[in-house]
Amino acid sequence: MTTLSAIIVDAASFAAWLFLVAVGLTLVFGVLRLLNIAHGAFYSVGAYAGVFAIGASASLGWGIALQLVAAIVVACLMGALIGLLIERSVLKRLYGYPEALVLIATYALFLILDDLTGMVSAGQSLYASQPRDGLGQITIGGLQYPVYDVGLIGISLLLALAVWYTLERTRIGRCVTAVVFDSEISAAMGIHVGRIKTGTFIVGAMLGCLAGALTAPKIAVSPGMGVEVIVIAFAVVVVGGLGSIAGALLGAIIIGLARSVTAHLAPELEIFAVYFVMAGVLAFRPYGLLAPAEARRI
Amino acid sequence: MSGRRIDWTIVAMLAIALIVTLSASFIPNWIRFLGQLAASTALASVGVMILLRAGLLSFGQSLFYFIGGYIVALLGKYGGVTDAFAVVVAAAAGAGLAAVALGFLLATYRGIFFSMLTLAVSMVMFGVATKVRLFGGSDGLNIGLMSYFGHRPRGVDAQWTGFVFCIWTWTGFGIATHVFLRSRFGRLIGAVADNEIRVEYLGFSVRRIVWVAYGIAGILAGAGGALAGLSARHVDPQFAYWTTAGDFIFVVLLSGQASVLSPAFGAFLLEILRSYASAWFPDQWQSVFGAMMLAIVLFLPAGLDHLIVLSGLALRKRVTRRSLVQGASS
Repeated sequence: MTTLSAIIVDAASFAAWLFLVAVGLTLVFGVLRLLNIAHGAFYSVGAYAGVFAIGASASLGWGIALQLVAAIVVACLMGALIGLLIERSVLKRLYGYPEALVLIATYALFLILDDLTGMVSAGQSLYASQPRDGLGQITIGGLQYPVYDVGLIGISLLLALAVWYTLERTRIGRCVTAVVFDSEISAAMGIHVGRIKTGTFIVGAMLGCLAGALTAPKIAVSPGMGVEVIVIAFAVVVVGGLGSIAGALLGAIIIGLARSVTAHLAPELEIFAVYFVMAGVLAFRPYGLLAPAEARRI
Repeated sequence: MSGRRIDWTIVAMLAIALIVTLSASFIPNWIRFLGQLAASTALASVGVMILLRAGLLSFGQSLFYFIGGYIVALLGKYGGVTDAFAVVVAAAAGAGLAAVALGFLLATYRGIFFSMLTLAVSMVMFGVATKVRLFGGSDGLNIGLMSYFGHRPRGVDAQWTGFVFCIWTWTGFGIATHVFLRSRFGRLIGAVADNEIRVEYLGFSVRRIVWVAYGIAGILAGAGGALAGLSARHVDPQFAYWTTAGDFIFVVLLSGQASVLSPAFGAFLLEILRSYASAWFPDQWQSVFGAMMLAIVLFLPAGLDHLIVLSGLALRKRVTRRSLVQGASS
C-alpha cells in the first residue's frame, strides 16, 4: 500500500516536471515547425536565473513566497529576452531551410548558451534550496514528501489550464491554432504570421526558463544539465504527438508513471524506462498518440 | 558508363597518402598526432555525410565511435590482441553489426525523429558506459602499444608507424566508400533525400537504402573510433557523448558533402582549431564552436567545398559561353 501511494505521488511529481519542460518545446514545434534543441539551454538559463534570484532575495530577507515570485519573474524576463533575440537574429532567416540545417543551428545555439551559463558559474554547482526547505514536509499515505514537490504538481496543472485557455478561448489562441494548421491560409486571412511565430517562440523560451527556475530549488544547478532535459522532453512530446499540448500532458503522465513504477519495482531499469516507452509508442503510432496522421506528399 | 576513365578522387586519396607517408619523418610530432586524430574524425564524419546525403542528420554516430574504440581496448585488455589490423577490422565489424541491428528499428524514421532517436540511443550508451565496471567507469580504459603483423615498433618508431597506419586506414576505407557511393546503390542514397516516394515507384526499398547507409556509417564510425583509441592510447565514455557526434556534424557542415575527401580537410581544420582554441580561450571552446557552426549555417549552408564546386561551375560556364560565341562567329 505504501509502495502504491509512493508510486502514484512520485509519478505525479515527475509527470508535473516533464510537462513543465515539454510544453514549451511542443508549442514551438507546433507553430514554427522546428525542433528547438536550445530548449534544453533555456532550461539551464532559467535554473541559473532562479538560483541567483532566490539567493539575492533571500539575502534581502524576503519571505519564501517572494523568493519564488522573484525567481519566476527573473526567469521569465530572461526567457523573453533570449527568445526575442534568437528568433529575430537567427531563426527568422532559417524558415524554409532543410530540417537538418535548422536542427544544427539550434544545436549551435544550445552550445553557446550552455557555455555562457557555465561561464557565469565558473563551472561550479549552485544550490538554492531555501524555498524547498522552508516549506517543510507533508505526509501522504504514510510517507513524507516536500510540500514544494507536491505544490509543483498543482502549478503544472495550472499551467496546462492556462495554456489550454489561451489557445482555445482567446482570439490570439485562435490565430495561433490557425497558423499551426496552415500558415499560408492564415496569412491570406489577415493573420500576421511572422508576429505569431515570434510571439510563440518568446513564450516557448519563457516556458523553458520557467521550468528551469521552478526546478532549481530541487537540484544542484550545474553546467551541462540541459542535455538530458532536451532528450527527455523530446521523448515526452513524441509519445503524445509533436505539437499537441494535450499530447504533452498525456506523454508526461505516461512517462512519469513508467519511470516511477520502474524506480520502485526494478531500479536498475530506471534509466531505460523513458526510452522503452518512447520506442514502444513509436513502433505502433509513429507520429505519437494524439497527432493526426499526415498524407504522403508525392 | 565511365568505368575506364580515371577516378580523380581515388588518385587524389592515394597521392595524399603516398606523399604524407614519404614525408612523415619530416613532419613534427604534434602535427602527426593531429593528423591521426583528424583521420579518425574524418572516417566517422564520412558516415555522417552519407546519412546527410539521404537527408538524415544523425546525432548518434558517437555511439559507433564509442563501440569501435572500446572493442580495441577490450580486445587488448581481455583478449590479448594487439595487432593493429586485426583490431581495426574487429572494431569496424562490431560497430557495423551494432548499426545493422539498430538500423532495423531506426530505418523507418526520418527527419527530427531519426535525429533524436539516434541521440537517445547514444545517451543511453553514455549512461551505461559511465557505470559499468567492465568498461572502466567514467575513467575509461588504457590501450597498449600496437603490433603490425608481428612487428612491434617502439618509441619514435611507434609514433611514425601509428601515423602511417592511420593515414592508410583512412585511405582504404575512404576508397571503398567512394566506390560504393559511385555505384547505382550509392546514388540512390541522394535520391532518398530528393523524393522518397519516387524512389519507391522506381522499384527500390527506401527502408533498405537507409538501413544500408546507416550500417556503412556505423562501420566507418567504428573504424574511426578504433583509430582514435589506438592514437590516444586511451578510451573513455566521452567517446559516446553527443558533443562527439556534434564534432562529426560540424566537420561535414564545414567541409560540405561533395566527396569522401571533403571531411578529411574539415577534420584536420577542426583538430587545428581545437588545439589553438584550447590554448587561447580554454573555457570558451563550446561558444566558439557553436558560433562558427551558426555562421556556416547562416552564410554558407552548403559548406566550404561548395565554393570550389561553384568556382568550377563558373569556369566551365565561361568556357562554354566563349566556345559558343566563337562557334557563332566562325
